[in-house]
Amino acid sequence: MIEEQKNSNDLKPNILIVDDEKGLREGTKRLLEGEGYSVQAAENGTEGIRLGTSEDFDIAILDLKMADYDGMEVLQEIKKVRQNTVCLIATAFASFDTAIEATRLGAFAYIPKPFAPEELFYQIQQAYKHRLLTLESEKLKKEREENLLELASEKSRLNTIIKSINDGVIVINKTGEIVYTNNAVLKNLNINELNIGDVASEKIPATITDLVNKIFDSSDKKDKSYSTQIEIKPNNELFVEAVCSPVPQPDGSLAGVIVVIRNITEFKKIEMIKSQFVSMVAHELKAPIAAVQGFINLLLDDQLNLDEEKKKDFLSRSEVRLKSLLTLVNDLLDISRMEMKTKQRELQNINVIDCMESTIELMQFEISKRNLKIEKNYSKDIPLLHADPNEITRVFTNIISNAVKYNKDNGSIDIDLSLQKNYVSIKISDTGIGMKQEEKEKLFSEFFRAKNEHTRGIGGTGLGLTIVKRIIDSYYGKIEVESSYGNGTTFIINLPINLTN
Amino acid sequence: MEINKKYNKILLVDDDIDLLEQNKTLLVSKGFNVVTAESGAEGFEIFKAEKPDAAIVDLIMEQHDAGFVLCYKIKKTDHGSKIPVYILTSATYDTGFKFDAETEDEKEWIKADGILNKPVVVEELISKLENFS
Repeated sequence: MIEEQKNSNDLKPNILIVDDEKGLREGTKRLLEGEGYSVQAAENGTEGIRLGTSEDFDIAILDLKMADYDGMEVLQEIKKVRQNTVCLIATAFASFDTAIEATRLGAFAYIPKPFAPEELFYQIQQAYKHRLLTLESEKLKKEREENLLELASEKSRLNTIIKSINDGVIVINKTGEIVYTNNAVLKNLNINELNIGDVASEKIPATITDLVNKIFDSSDKKDKSYSTQIEIKPNNELFVEAVCSPVPQPDGSLAGVIVVIRNITEFKKIEMIKSQFVSMVAHELKAPIAAVQGFINLLLDDQLNLDEEKKKDFLSRSEVRLKSLLTLVNDLLDISRMEMKTKQRELQNINVIDCMESTIELMQFEISKRNLKIEKNYSKDIPLLHADPNEITRVFTNIISNAVKYNKDNGSIDIDLSLQKNYVSIKISDTGIGMKQEEKEKLFSEFFRAKNEHTRGIGGTGLGLTIVKRIIDSYYGKIEVESSYGNGTTFIINLPINLTN
Repeated sequence: MEINKKYNKILLVDDDIDLLEQNKTLLVSKGFNVVTAESGAEGFEIFKAEKPDAAIVDLIMEQHDAGFVLCYKIKKTDHGSKIPVYILTSATYDTGFKFDAETEDEKEWIKADGILNKPVVVEELISKLENFS
């Protein structure tokens, strides 16, 4: 690039000549202009300083001895402002000392007067080469500085990001010291302070430092991470997961270990609810199986000499238990489909009154068996609901089935359907045994079934209202229950009409 | 069997009416006279009315610890303090949680005289009754 510029004709250096000897000054100017250089001349030091500082000349040729200024002084003044202008000192009083002094003050070369044109051209060529090199290196330096500046701002941006993330980040070096940490560490490890330079093993849980040491100790598998879960505060108050990964040097060797500490308390809570649910399901499945197995054992026991009537009773009781087991399994499958959202909804415009009527019809047998009276009060203005008819029927069936099961013989069930402001309101009241406050609170939880002196012999999976609540929730609706022990129960379901078309 | 005379009347308490019926059938076949109840509260009423020679109480009924509570109430009575009372449970199988009314610590809070695992093995019950003192 420099070579190119030097050879290029339109890139002749821009030269300043400062000399108070007119003949020499004009002669040199002409000589150089003849070669195509752009030349300006100053007739004394003052003028030289003015020109040399106001314009960035490539090269300045300065006479050492002038009336007003010494060439060295002119050089210093120009260099103050134009440090890259290459200065040549020209003098007839050549001496070793002045040459040294000139170079010390920043002169590029020293030309003895009078000079032969070849000598002058050679020096100018060298000076120009130097000028171009200097400019290039200046440019590189500037670029590098800009890069560094960018890097610094990138670094601070990264720093800000890491400081503000919710996961704790700790970097530990080979000597086991903390070399980086963010605020989330304090929160996630429940500690008051952690500083750069602290010994990791003294400040953070041993379960984490053990993993860190494992990474430092293993010679191979440099990309292997280890993780652990730690209960920071008991009773599921704070649970974290720490993932330790090696930080490699550019050459692949191990520089340190980065530990990311994430708060997993909520996941743990969900995990616990899930395993409690599984345990409850197992218990609920076991009861009917144990009952049926017990009956089979008795039926197979020859020593008991059971009569035919007894055998038949045991078989039919087994059948009842198996039926309830099947219902339970179906309910569980429904809940699971709802949770996994694998159940395909068949949304259509449905008439809530029709849905209710068909539900009542299906349950007519149970209703007449207990001699219950159904009081209906349907508003005329109920709009169609855009919903899955199976799901809405399921809701009605479960609620009305409860109203039948938990009613008193010869009691009644009131069903009100009305249009409120933004929703369809469905109110189902029974004259049954009602609920205690503590029973009401647990009503929608899985497998909860009220157990008291009135509920003996009433069957159910304990999942009916759980399913109802989930369906209602999925339509952004609301279900409420009003009840007083011994005096019946009322369920109020509100389904938003923005579901309607 | 002589044991049947000493422990002729047995109170069975279980909220699963089918299991209650099954255990009753088994015990009746061995010559026991069996009275039943379906809840802790009813169990205590029947206990007071019938004064059985032994009681077998299901652990988990309307409440998780209903069996323990009923045993406690029975053992507090004068009659109850003299008869064997057993807790019936499958908890040891369900949970791996093992307990027996044998160590001092257990005797402190389990007032029952022993634990019977479900399903009831009549021979096990009879041997427990024989060894009761």
